[in-house]
Formats: sequence, structure tokens, C-alpha cells
Amino acid sequence: MTLHASPPLGLPMVYLVDDEDVVRDALAWLLRSRRLLSEGFASAEAFESMLDIHLPPGRDDPANASWPAAPSCLLLDVRMPGTSGLVLFDRLIERGLLPLMPVIFLTGHGDVPTAVAAVKRGAYDFVEKPFSDNALVDRVERALAASGDAIGRQRARHNVQRRLAELTDREREVMHCVIDGRPNKLIADVLNISVRTVEVHRARVFEKMDVKSAVELANVLRQIQ
Amino acid sequence: MFVGLLLVAQSLLVWLTLDFENNRAQETVDGVAAAVVVDLKQALRRDQQNLQALLWNQPSPQEWRHDASALLRNRRQLLRIERRDMQMAITDAVDSPFQQPVFGKIPRDDIDLEADLACAAAKRQAGPAYSRTYFVPMPGSMGGQEVIDLCMPVVNEGRAEGFMVSTLSLPRLLDEVVPTDVMRAHELSFVEGDGTRLARAGVPRGAGVFKSERLVDLPGLTLQLRVDSSSGRPQLIPNLTTALVLGLSLALGAVVVLLARDVRRRAKAESALAESLAFRKAMEDSLVTGLRARDLQGRITYVNPAFCEMVGFPASELIGQIVPSYWPPEKVAEYLERQAVRMAGKSPPREGYETLFMRRDGERFPVMIYEAQLVDGTGTHTGWMSATLDLSAQRKVEEMSRQQQERLQATARLATVGEMASLLSHELNQPLAAIASYAVGSLNLMNDPSEDALPLVRQAAQRIAEQAERAGRVIKSVHDFVRRREQAHEPVRTDHLIDSVLPLVRLQARKSGARIEVDLPSPVPRVVCDRTMLEQVMLNLTRNGIQSMESVTPLERRELLIRVRQTHPRWVTFSIVDHGPGVDPEVASRLFTPFFTTRTEGMGLGLSLCRTVIEQHGGVLDFQNLQGEDGRPGGAEFRFTLAAEPQHGPMHPSRSRTLTDSST
Repeated sequence: MTLHASPPLGLPMVYLVDDEDVVRDALAWLLRSRRLLSEGFASAEAFESMLDIHLPPGRDDPANASWPAAPSCLLLDVRMPGTSGLVLFDRLIERGLLPLMPVIFLTGHGDVPTAVAAVKRGAYDFVEKPFSDNALVDRVERALAASGDAIGRQRARHNVQRRLAELTDREREVMHCVIDGRPNKLIADVLNISVRTVEVHRARVFEKMDVKSAVELANVLRQIQ
Repeated sequence: MFVGLLLVAQSLLVWLTLDFENNRAQETVDGVAAAVVVDLKQALRRDQQNLQALLWNQPSPQEWRHDASALLRNRRQLLRIERRDMQMAITDAVDSPFQQPVFGKIPRDDIDLEADLACAAAKRQAGPAYSRTYFVPMPGSMGGQEVIDLCMPVVNEGRAEGFMVSTLSLPRLLDEVVPTDVMRAHELSFVEGDGTRLARAGVPRGAGVFKSERLVDLPGLTLQLRVDSSSGRPQLIPNLTTALVLGLSLALGAVVVLLARDVRRRAKAESALAESLAFRKAMEDSLVTGLRARDLQGRITYVNPAFCEMVGFPASELIGQIVPSYWPPEKVAEYLERQAVRMAGKSPPREGYETLFMRRDGERFPVMIYEAQLVDGTGTHTGWMSATLDLSAQRKVEEMSRQQQERLQATARLATVGEMASLLSHELNQPLAAIASYAVGSLNLMNDPSEDALPLVRQAAQRIAEQAERAGRVIKSVHDFVRRREQAHEPVRTDHLIDSVLPLVRLQARKSGARIEVDLPSPVPRVVCDRTMLEQVMLNLTRNGIQSMESVTPLERRELLIRVRQTHPRWVTFSIVDHGPGVDPEVASRLFTPFFTTRTEGMGLGLSLCRTVIEQHGGVLDFQNLQGEDGRPGGAEFRFTLAAEPQHGPMHPSRSRTLTDSST
């Protein structure tokens, strides 16, 4: 698998969205003490305008977007003036950012049921204020790891799709036969070509898909299903 | 108008009938004339053919004479047939056997001119030709007759040999040709253009009314036939009778139709009237507004069911009364005076006026009256109509809404407490969260001793101090708030305190059918307290008491007593006594614990909050179960004490009172 590894991921980044300057500053400080980079936003709107720069709305399919390039996670306050944390969460789902950028909700007094509902809808976790702080950082680190995994999976998927696009129609036919486990002779019969030609196509499929064996090819293709 | 029309129609009818008959008679005459002309032409043509036949096969003179005699015997209108040579000299002649020879009186040669002309024409045309008519005097009584000559050229093998001239009698022609039935009813004649009659047949004289003239065209001769019917003008009288009968029956029919329509219209109007009456009745019956009509003497003439229901007297009793039963006796004089003013012609205020009526059971109730003049169909003022609105329901609603308002305010006061707690926790959460973050971060840094950790830790400590101070400020502001409330303690008269919660308490009591009794000493003591908080305590305790009796205590014992006693120069004791089952000993120990409740919908804060408030005021809140007369549980008494107002000189005298509120 090392042969089709992506370029290394960038430094992990934690985004903080909370209307309280003090809370944001303290959290940034805490994260820094654990050697984590963070960026604070005083409102959901500010965070969204940052998103718009990286992911211009309507540009291309968010599932294929190249951002975030580094593991990242979002600490999001539930209650904020203006756009609330829950509304912002919905917009992130719409943008398809969710598995790539896990969301941890910060809840105040009495918001726990709301936060639980959000977790059921795909939020990574929630933390009640005042937080038990190193535990919070631990969760953030786990979320970052999950984010890294998600980004890696997304890259691998893109990779395979790009390679698949390079195949000719005949090569794709041969490839499907190979995955089905048919021997070359049978493939030649089915496609009405010579065994020699099948061997050539097979070699080129392996080369283009950057795999060594039919088993490996099947594994690679399973990633994009 | 109608009669005129009828007359015109009648005359028209008569005229039309007459005209029709005239036309028909004229048409008959015209038809007869046309038929006669056709018959004449046919007869003449036949004669012509017969004459022609005489010349067939060049007969010998004997044969010709024989045939001509036969023909003359057959056709009576033929008077004479003669043969002539080319010079018009008569070579042979045969006369009709039915009369004397035509030219007996005057020789043929003397009146030969017409025959000559006809033969000239016949020669020219190479065919038969008629001469003009001419008169031949005859011997005997006949005097003579008009005749015509028919000249036919005699041709032998394409060469003209001479002429055959026959003489026809016009009167005989008519006699022979015209059918007998025509002759019986008409006078027929040949006339000349100037009206001279040439020959006639049929009745001696036509009536001269229906006449028809026709032309009979013959080669070389045109005869004018006149037919004059013997029937005169149609008679007016028979037609008039028919027309009259017809007209009268028509008029009768018209009258019947008009009558039927009128009856129908009447029925319609009646049913519309009945409908509108029923509608009005339904309207009056369905009104919740009472309606009352009075005549100019003030006597009631009409009341609607709503009014009867309102005052509780039946309509039969009310109608005719001048001093109605629903006037409260103490107001009769005043109302009579008002009525006198009204009768004097003063209009009542348009916006209505308020007054007091009495129900049958003696209950007085306020009403709003809108009065207006009652004017009959001829515009005469016959009395007064008034709409009466029962205001007691409205008053009740107003009272309800006022109580609702008060309850809302009370709820709002309670809600503030909860809201303050929420606000407080939020305000404290922020700095505490920050402090925790900085502290944990510092610890992290200390565990990871790198070279630049120290300035960072110092920075963190700085911020911890800032946030701690912020939290302190929050706490201080809460403290200030509590102190401000303490400063709000003021001397309050206990009866005022109770009065301010009583409406709410009564509302609650009404719902569960309980009575409220208030027992105040005289003089009424004053207490120093935060009035709002004390009201909450009173509400809580009375509500508990009422609810404890609900559905458990029999209705007649369902009574809540609020008692105030000055038990000590410095203390006033409030007791809230119910007749419920008392407090369960198991519950008693936890009664004042926060969040403990025996009710499903309760928060469990009421009693603990009450105790806190009373203790803040320096008083005590406790309770005891009471024993009934028969030894069974007789309810519970909740007591709390409050500081009495320090005495400044003599207390102002206060009346003692015992309020009894019966609300069921």
C-alpha cells in the first residue's frame, strides 16, 4: 500500500467557535500547552467565511474537495448569538465536511439533551462546561486522529478513481473479468480476443492501478464502493 | 283602457272577418270567370275544328250541306255556315234549324263588311280568323243579337279556292258553354271597352258587388267577359255575433288569467310575509340581547325570550305592567322619574345607559340599555324599544381577567427566581471554565519542562487571577441584589398583605369548592417584611391547604382559615389551617427538604423556599397536625412568625373584622 500513499498530511488544526473571548483564549492556551495548533472564531458566521475561502460554495462536489488537507476538528459552542452552533453543524453536514472534520460540542447549563441529539446526528462528541480540561484535549486528539483517517480514506478513494479513469474500455472489461476470478483463457473466450492480448491488457491494468495481484486489485476497488 | 282595447280588437275582428269573406267571394268570382273563359275558348276551338272537318276530302256540295246541317244541329251557337268563292260571292249557305235564318230581316250583303275583313285577315294569315262583333236585327220578339263571323280559307291542293264563313251567336255561345250552376249564381256577359253589353246569360242581374272581367283572345278578335256574382255584400250581423261571443270569451279568459296571477302574487306575498315574520321571531328568540317595547304610557307591550330569561319573569306577567316586577323596589321612584323624562320626549343617550335590574330571586344585576323610538308604519311615535344587555356576565369576565392578570404577575415573580439561577450559572460558568483551562494548561507545561514554559505559566496565572476576579464580581452582584431586597423590607399591615393575595386564593378555592375564612385581631398588627416574598409564602401555604382538602374533605367542612395573632410584642404569628387529612408522619420529616414533593406536578421547592424566606426575615415556619372533635385527623396548621413593627406610640385603632367568603 505504500506505493499509492498520498503526500503526507499537514499539521493538525483545531478550530474553536465560541462567542466568549475568554473561553476561546483559555482553550487555545490549553491546546497549545499540549502542542496543538488552534484557530479561534468569535461566531459561526466568521467560521463560515473561512470555509468559503477554502471551499467556495458551488465550485465542485464537496466529496472530492481537497480541503481540509490536514487532520482537523471543530470545538463548537451550542449557544451563540447569531447563528447557533446547531445551525452551523447542519451547514457542515450539507457541505459534506462531517467525517473529515469531527465536531465536538461545548454545552453550557441545560443544553445537554440538545447536545445528545446532535451526537445522534453525527457529531463526534460533546463536553459540558466547565470542562474537565485534559480530558477535553484527549477527546480532541482522538477526533484529530479520526479526521486524519477520514482524510486518508478520502485521498485513497480519489486516487483509485483517478486511476480507474485512466483505463481504456477494453482494459476495464478485462479488469472486471479478472476481479471475478476468471482465468485468462476464459477471459479471451468471453471477450473474443487472443490469450496473448488478455495478458497484455492484464499487465497494463495492474500497472495503471499500481497493484501486484488480482487480490490487491479487488481490495483497492473495494475502497471506492 | 281595457274596454277600449277590447272594442278595438272586436272591430278589428269584425273587419277582418268581413274582409276575409269579401276576398273569398271575389276569389270565387275570379275563379268562375277564369273557368268560363277556358270553357269558351275550348268550345270555340271545338267549333273551329268541326268546321274544318266540313272541308275534309273536298266534299261534294251535297255532302257539305249534309255535314253542315248536322253540325248546325249539334252546335246551337252556330247560326249559319256559308261557302264563298275568292270574290266573296256566296256559293252555298246553310242556316241553323233552331231559329229563323239570321239574315232574314236584313240581307246578308248589307252587313257583309265584318265578314270581308275577317276573310281578308284569314287569307293573309292562311288560317281561320274571327270578325269583330256586330249586331244582326232579327225578326220576331228577339229583336236581334250580337254575332261574330269566323272565316276559314278553303284550300284545295295548295291553291286557295274560296272561304267558309260561319256566324256565331254570342248569347247562344254563353248559354251553351256556361254550366248551369254558374248561371244560377252569376250574370255573365260580353262587354265592350266602354261597358256596352253585347250579350248576356245567367241570372238577370248581378249584385254588382263582386265582379270579374276577363279577356277572351281569339284570332282577329278580343272579347271581354264580365262575370257578376249575384251575392251581395256579406252580412254584418252574423259576423258581429260570432265576434262578440269570441271577444267575450277572450275577455273572460283574460280576466281569469289576470285573476289567477293576482291570486298567485297574493299567496307569494303572504308566504313572504309569514317567512319574514318567522325570521323575525327566530331572530328575536335567538338574541341574547333582551328586547323590550313600551308604549307611550310606559306600559310594557313586548318582551323577547332573552329578556324574560334575563329577569326571570314570564312574558305574560310582564306585559301590561307600568312598574315592572324587575325593578328593584328601592329604585322604583328613581326609575319612574326617569321614565317621566323619557315620556316628555327626551331621547335617551345613543350610547346607552347603565342601570340596575332585579331577577325573580331578588338578585340585583347591572344592565346596559339602548333605547330608541318605536315608530309605526304611518310614522307615528308609538313607544320605545330598548335592547338590554346583561352586564353581570361581562363583569364576571372582567373580574376573571383581572384575576388572571394577577396570577400571571405572581407566576412571573416566581419565574424570575428560576431565570436568575440560570443566568447566574452561565455568568459563573465562563470564568470558571477559563480558570480551569489555564490551570490545566499550566500543569501540562510544568510536566513538560522546556525552556520557554515559565513565561507562559506566568501568563496563565495572570489570566487565572483576572477570571477569578470576574467570578467574584458576579457573586458580589448577587449579594448586592439580595441586600437590596432586604432593604426593601417595610412595615405592612397584615390585612393588606392578606387582601393582596386573597383574590388568587379565592380563585383557587372556587375551583375546588372550598371556603376561605380570614380571622384578624383588632387592632390589626403590622409586620416588617418584603411584601412580594411574603405574598409568595402566603400563596404557597394557602394553595397547599386547599389542595390537601380537595376531594378528601366533605364539601361542608372544606374550609381554609387564615388567622393572624400578635403572640408577642415583637412577633406576629400567621396560621393557615386546613381541614384535610393532615401531614403524614413519614412525609413530615422531609417536608422542608428542597426537591421533595408529594405531588406529581410539583417541583418540591414550595415549602423549602417558604421556610428560607421566613428565616431570612428572622422568623420561623413550622406546622402541626390537628385533632378533630372525634379524634380523627382534623387537618394541618402551618404557622410562621414575622417581626412586628416596632411600637411608635399608641397603635391607631383598627376595626376587627371577620371576612367570610362563600364562593360556591
